[in-house]
Amino acid sequence: MSAPRPYALLAEITYRCPLHCPYCSNPVNALTTAHATAKNGELTPDEWKRVIREAAALGVLQIGFSGGEPLARHDLADLVRAAREVNLYTNLITSGIGLDDHRVHLLRDAGLDSVQLSFQSDASDLSDEIAGARAHQRKLNAAAKIRAAGIPLSLNFVIHRRNIDRLPQMIELTETVEAQRVELANAQFYGWAFLNRAALLPTREQVVRAREVATAAKARLAGKIDIFYVLPDYYETRPKPCLNGWGQRYLTVNPIGDVLPCPTASSAIPDLTFENVRTRALDWIWRESESFNRFRGTEWMPEPCRSCPQREIDFGGCRCQAALLTGNAANTDPVCEFSPNRAMVDAVLHDINSSSDHARDWTYRVNPKVLHC
Amino acid sequence: MYMTAISDTAHPRLAKGVRLQSDSATRKTVLLFPEGVVELNETAHEILMRCDGRTVSEIVQALAEDYDADLAALATDVRETLADLQQRRLIELR
Repeated sequence: MSAPRPYALLAEITYRCPLHCPYCSNPVNALTTAHATAKNGELTPDEWKRVIREAAALGVLQIGFSGGEPLARHDLADLVRAAREVNLYTNLITSGIGLDDHRVHLLRDAGLDSVQLSFQSDASDLSDEIAGARAHQRKLNAAAKIRAAGIPLSLNFVIHRRNIDRLPQMIELTETVEAQRVELANAQFYGWAFLNRAALLPTREQVVRAREVATAAKARLAGKIDIFYVLPDYYETRPKPCLNGWGQRYLTVNPIGDVLPCPTASSAIPDLTFENVRTRALDWIWRESESFNRFRGTEWMPEPCRSCPQREIDFGGCRCQAALLTGNAANTDPVCEFSPNRAMVDAVLHDINSSSDHARDWTYRVNPKVLHC
Repeated sequence: MYMTAISDTAHPRLAKGVRLQSDSATRKTVLLFPEGVVELNETAHEILMRCDGRTVSEIVQALAEDYDADLAALATDVRETLADLQQRRLIELR
């Protein structure tokens, strides 16, 4: 199987984070796996710079610095500079916590191209409850600093049952802070979000209303703010074209240097073994490794995907979702109406929609503490 | 659909956060922006290389001279390309 060229690298430079969002996509076991010992700790600045150069040589054009909270690493501006030196488009995906004037200027001077700032909702009380920390006001301050430094700003709201009814106010906040684009992305159920699904999944009624709000706002703000509304895929009948195909365009390097076809793959697909940048060249991992080749192309597909006319369009959906719901990552994504396992998704939807007595409690994300390089 | 007429006197330039760059893997020109990459065709590339403060009609004029092409046909091409890029918010017109 010949490998295409990748376009984007997601650099998860740390799992440390001051927030505790119950929908975090980081692995639930980040605390208990190898991450907490010094020897297997986070990649060093020099190791990241090598990864960045190797990614550019592979054809990568964009890098997203993510986490965890990437600002928790004080070498972030150096890594941005290293990425700009090899002409990558640099995007910082942040909670904004830790972004003071000094660091905004360091990042701008390093050449940071754009910032995607997360918000939990539009107002302090609900936002801080969701984040499990007093964060909202600090995010507003961060937005103002980013704008003042002249760095293009996008907002990201993760949408779920507790905040979906506030979509109009979230769009208003986007206008107020003068962001250029906003992602209103329904929680996808991996990592902590999978654990907390019963408390996060919106009702059908909420989803229908939110879609109307998003469509109207899109029309009203056309040419001014780009609005990306991501549906909760459980309510779809066809699966999302996850990653535009496994090992086709994207790669993720996690804090300890494991290279993943998808950031959630390490926890969702336990029978896949991932290679590490400390022992292998990125080029080899992308082209030759078992983890990147397992679901590349269409050869691996079982029925009903194998003979489906959509197979080159949705690629059978999401491998992680298939693994989490059916126990086998090669199965058709059970969101698909043709999946023999669609009843599993319908049962979850039925539970949420048939009772008004919804689970409200979620488990907050806990943080790895002993992570220093 | 959002679409404005492209005026002859407008000054097109790349939108904020959009970078024009050569892609070393394909040797083609690409536009990079948050979460996206667009590969430019030759027409778009030639137009954007001239979006340096010139007006639309000056860009058409320059292209007509450089390529010895028909002015009216070229003007239509340039307007269509700029309208498309503007609709995708990859350029701004001042």
